[in-house]
Amino acid sequence: MAAHSRVFLPFRFAILKTPQILGVHTRFIPPQAENCSRISYNHGDRGTSNGEEWTPPLYREHQPTSLFQKALLTVGSAAVAITNPHRHDMIAVLGETTGYYALIRIRDQMKADPVGQQILSERPRINTRTIDLEELRALPEGTFGKEYVNWLDRNDVTPDSRAPVKFVDDEELAYVIRRYREIHDLFHTLLGMPTNMLGECTVKMFEAVHTGLPMCAMGAVFGPIRLSSKQRWKLRNYYFPWAVKAGYSAKCLMNVYLERRFHEPLEELKADLNIPSPPHIPKSTDNNNTRLNRR
Amino acid sequence: MTYKTRNMAALWCVSVRLGRVCRCSNRIIASRRNLSEHKSSDETDKEEGTEKSTHFGFESINESEKTGKVHEVFSNVASKYDVMNDAMSLGVHRLWKDRFMQVLDPLPGTRLLDVAGGTGDIAFRFINWIKEKELQQKKASPGAEFRLNPLETDDSESAPDLEFPSAEDYLYSEQREDTTGTDDRKDSKVIICDINQSMLEVGKERAKKLGLEDDVVWVTGNAEELPFPDNSVDAYTIAFGIRNVTHIEKVLCEAYRVLTPGGRFLCLEFSQVSNPLLSSVYDLYSFQVIPVLGELIASDWKSYQYLVESIRKFPNQEEFAEMIREAGFRMVSYENLTSGVAAIHSGFKI
Repeated sequence: MAAHSRVFLPFRFAILKTPQILGVHTRFIPPQAENCSRISYNHGDRGTSNGEEWTPPLYREHQPTSLFQKALLTVGSAAVAITNPHRHDMIAVLGETTGYYALIRIRDQMKADPVGQQILSERPRINTRTIDLEELRALPEGTFGKEYVNWLDRNDVTPDSRAPVKFVDDEELAYVIRRYREIHDLFHTLLGMPTNMLGECTVKMFEAVHTGLPMCAMGAVFGPIRLSSKQRWKLRNYYFPWAVKAGYSAKCLMNVYLERRFHEPLEELKADLNIPSPPHIPKSTDNNNTRLNRR
Repeated sequence: MTYKTRNMAALWCVSVRLGRVCRCSNRIIASRRNLSEHKSSDETDKEEGTEKSTHFGFESINESEKTGKVHEVFSNVASKYDVMNDAMSLGVHRLWKDRFMQVLDPLPGTRLLDVAGGTGDIAFRFINWIKEKELQQKKASPGAEFRLNPLETDDSESAPDLEFPSAEDYLYSEQREDTTGTDDRKDSKVIICDINQSMLEVGKERAKKLGLEDDVVWVTGNAEELPFPDNSVDAYTIAFGIRNVTHIEKVLCEAYRVLTPGGRFLCLEFSQVSNPLLSSVYDLYSFQVIPVLGELIASDWKSYQYLVESIRKFPNQEEFAEMIREAGFRMVSYENLTSGVAAIHSGFKI
């Protein structure tokens, strides 16, 4: 059966198919599951259910989902992510389910730029197999690559810990969001932010402005719930304004082949990309941060 | 009916039953012969190049792969198994298992084998049920205070061996602390057998938390080839495990083999909902919500997709009852729970 045709079978096994982009939820599952066996299944793909519109998986790890499932995933992953920030995979799922239109915009931006086009066609990956961390450690201090490995070691993270993309229903957009996820750590290095909740909120605000992904905006708005009032004060008065400014001023980082610029000095790279340095918070504010002085 | 036709009918019934039992025992003999010749049916099939395929959810795979794939699924879900059960069934699985124990209604002295018992839900309920029954017996009969509870061991006696060396010894060991001579009843025993070590580990942790770790024996084994002797258990239970096996008939035959005459086979499993309206709601919930819950709670979509698909692939109540009859069990009956979402099938070896 063609994926986009309307096919009406006898009542018990009627499957109503509509293109998923219209967002119309397909009708109920027919009682017998055996009609599904007519479709040949490859290893690892089963579609959404035995009566839903069955789209074949478009890439490895792709899990086709209906609009209802995406909605459920959005709400659920947001709830889990805010209650348990260690569940990075939930933030990833939230980004995938809500980011469709933002990803289209980013992909179009990339297509309009020669380096972006190169990235889209070459599809480079950032993990321990493609980046030689030892080579980066050998770079002189102050270079982008050296700062990156220092940051990795300081925060005890590895570029391998990214969850695979599952719920984006377009192969190229799946690469775009994967690219975004993999250069997230490089954003941290460029902005000089650690991986604690404060640093993550700041980077999320930067990304929300810079990429337009709804997940980043949600993270920036709801993430600070988990912070103390002193941290929220710092965020509101120093980090967020700076992150917003940096997000608008920076050149589109999805169009920058960052892994080829590891040898460049970090400050020069930041100047080239129009990323201002992080704000300096005067030490005395720790004592001055009383109710009287807080705006 | 005349005398002659009644006799013919009786002979026919007996021959059918003998046929069923013989089929079962032939299978046991044949499988043992195959094992001794170091050649399983799978290997002979492979040599001929025609390996049979079976279902893994809605996917089609070779029979030899199914055990490994199911093992992988349960290794992945083991740590969040109980949380997911509560989330998916909204706690109703506890009511199902309570009803299951009510139907089994074991008396003190029952030896129970809980197959695919993994995290121990059924076994712990069994232990609590027996303890409750014994308390009631103590209260009911005079001089009860002089009888020791066989599930509690005297410190001095149990000190040397805290571990049962083998399942056989465990099953046949009789702890005779009670010398009043009222009866030589056996002690209640429960063995949990599961093919997946991770599930057993989770179960052991739970047993420790509940303080029941000394009352259970944990055995790793395949339900299709149980490492227990014939006629060794009084009750065989399998809860939500039989739909994951490669050959249901083999499991039923093994159940028949290890049960003593008069023993009871009890199976709790997902089944088919006959009411079409409820069925549509149930299907919708199964396919739309459960894999999402799996992704959110256990970060594992695929295992829970397998779960809901394997439920659809399992035979319905009547077909499964017929399979149990084929294995030689009698007085086979079933009880639907939650309108057929789950069903308890029961059979006796008589």
